[in-house]
Amino acid sequence: MLKKKICLVGQFGVGKTSLVRRFVDSIFDERYLTTIGVKIDRKDVTVGSESITLMLWDLAGEDDLAQLNASHLRGASGYILVADGCRAASFAKAVELQQRIEDQLGSMPFVLVLNKVDLRDRWEIKDAAVAERGWPVFETSAKAGTGVEEMFLALAGKLVE
Amino acid sequence: MNLLGALGYAAVERISDGSFQVQGPAPEWLPSGPLLDIFPFLESFLPDAEEFWADPKGRATLYSDLWTQDDRHFCAIAVAGEQKFLLIESAEQRFQQAQSFVQYAHEASLAREQIAKLTEAKTEFLARMSHEIRTPMNALLGMVELLSETPLNEEQRKYVRVFQRAGDNLLNVINDILDFSKVEAGQIELENVEFDLAEVVEEAIEIAAVRAGAKGLEVGSRIQPDVPTHLIGDPGRLRQILLNLLGNATKFTEHGELSVAVEKQDEGTLHFAVSDTGIGIPANRLSTIFESFSQADASTTRKYGGTGLGLAISKRFVELMGGKIWAESTLGLGTTMHFTARFPLGVGTPKPLQEPVVSLAARALRILLADDSEENRFLIRGYLKDSGSIIDEVENGAQAVQHFKQRAYDVVLMDAEMPVLDGYSATREIRALGATPIFLLTAHAFREARQRGFEAGCTEHLTKPIKKAALLAALNKFVPISDRIHVAVESWLKPVVGGYLEKRRGDVTKLREALDGGDFETIRTLGHQMSGTGGGYGFEHITEIGGAIEEAALAGDPVQVRASIEELDHYLSAVRVE
Repeated sequence: MLKKKICLVGQFGVGKTSLVRRFVDSIFDERYLTTIGVKIDRKDVTVGSESITLMLWDLAGEDDLAQLNASHLRGASGYILVADGCRAASFAKAVELQQRIEDQLGSMPFVLVLNKVDLRDRWEIKDAAVAERGWPVFETSAKAGTGVEEMFLALAGKLVE
Repeated sequence: MNLLGALGYAAVERISDGSFQVQGPAPEWLPSGPLLDIFPFLESFLPDAEEFWADPKGRATLYSDLWTQDDRHFCAIAVAGEQKFLLIESAEQRFQQAQSFVQYAHEASLAREQIAKLTEAKTEFLARMSHEIRTPMNALLGMVELLSETPLNEEQRKYVRVFQRAGDNLLNVINDILDFSKVEAGQIELENVEFDLAEVVEEAIEIAAVRAGAKGLEVGSRIQPDVPTHLIGDPGRLRQILLNLLGNATKFTEHGELSVAVEKQDEGTLHFAVSDTGIGIPANRLSTIFESFSQADASTTRKYGGTGLGLAISKRFVELMGGKIWAESTLGLGTTMHFTARFPLGVGTPKPLQEPVVSLAARALRILLADDSEENRFLIRGYLKDSGSIIDEVENGAQAVQHFKQRAYDVVLMDAEMPVLDGYSATREIRALGATPIFLLTAHAFREARQRGFEAGCTEHLTKPIKKAALLAALNKFVPISDRIHVAVESWLKPVVGGYLEKRRGDVTKLREALDGGDFETIRTLGHQMSGTGGGYGFEHITEIGGAIEEAALAGDPVQVRASIEELDHYLSAVRVE
């Protein structure tokens, strides 16, 4: 079976781990547990007639103390930039990460995820700023499950194109 | 005994075909199978490990990041040596330690972000409320001020006084709340100007004496002879502290006296004591009265009123002045509020605290007033009604810019928040056209509003509710006395000359439009009318300009026509009727 490595990157606390848990285990936990290093999960999916094993690398969120370790992206087929719609700074961080990844590893398929769409009335990220990037964007809620599976499957689809 | 296994490690060796062989018995947590399938994480670590094995650069080990899979936590350690040994550590304890540290940092950071957002929202809310409250307050207090200047009978005068007092009290409460929120947001900055301490104390005493006197209390002050009175600091905030303490002293004293004493504590530090012979404060409440919204007890609020913010604000001001504040009290005998403050000595001549307000009656100005509130325009008109000023009123910033382009003004009074084009943007546009003083009128008492106004190019910022005295003082301070053309007209003509001049100002616009359209016939007709009427109203110069316009129109000379129109415009702006 085809195996594809997908990395999730973004500022700490944006919900990367929760997105994976929702996708892999259909669970959401209200507790915030910060990721240390890398958390690796796998999920078998079918895209069209293709069966794929997605290796999901959930990378610790960037903060003032720790930067993304680019070596964790080695061998990745694509990545997911995750931002928290309620924190404008997390979108700026996603933009910065995308630039760094492209500089270091070249171009590869990715999607931008604006998580916490269940709190859309409190969003700080402006639609226009997102649209300006011209990136594929998904609005998700790991809590409610909104858009999560669609997002992962859409990126998987891009990887087998 | 498998010592490594007991310590939580699995030892593997990378062999020549790239696969791994477990060395010794495998620990129970290590599943069987190819190592790279079991631990996909190693894909990212092995290139670094290979580099390390080839050249360890004097180091014994290379640690990977921690990773998590199937709810277990691991770390890989490449060991330097002839063989390529790798230790896989079951790193539960190390993971827990790292997580608790980072978790704490992240939670603290998220909480800080949340607090910053809430503080920002609160400041925004207060700024909005300040605006919403001050706008109608401006109209209310202004109208009372105007009303008090009209003929009133004794009963009406009494009602107006009550109205004024209640309005002032309400404004004080609003100012207390705003001051406190500014203190909380760290937005208070003290001034550093030269001032006369004796004058500040005296003024505070004079103000406090009005209310204290009404209760039959005596008020006095004593400044020790060795206290330097010529100082550098913020006289406004010092007066505010003294007024606050004297206000409390008045409120809680029924018989006796209030006093302010100032002595030198040490070089650069003064000690102030505000004493009363009032009800006193219980000993167990002395330390908490400086907390926000705190009064000696709930019944105090019921009986004496107040926001409970005054002392908290004073405490912060005192701290900003490098001092401290405390209270001493004996129940039933009275209270002394002490505070210290540091002031450098002044070197020049202190500026008088209050500049004398010169009446605007002698200063007829051409004023452009932009405000979408009809009440506020009415108020400004009322304040200036005796000045002889000509006030052109518009309702938004775009109209203000348009008017400014058509006519010369002595000053522009610009409301900050208006439809179509706000006051800040309009100020920016007008400032690009010339140096005419612009007063921005805002209901925002916050520093940002002032800063924003000055950045846009305003000359002065007036906070609503605008008092007549404040407006006149600003006009006297900032509007230069230019070369006015004073024309004496006969008294019977005075009621009509205003209308006549206004029509001629309208002619300036018509003339410019006609010139732009090459319509010399209209220009000639307008010039002819002016030439025939100016002298009759006492404005010989209008007759002269009208004649010149008529002549230039007949000659089809656009340059001369334009020059005469500009001369007319300038004359109409400068002329004042006596």
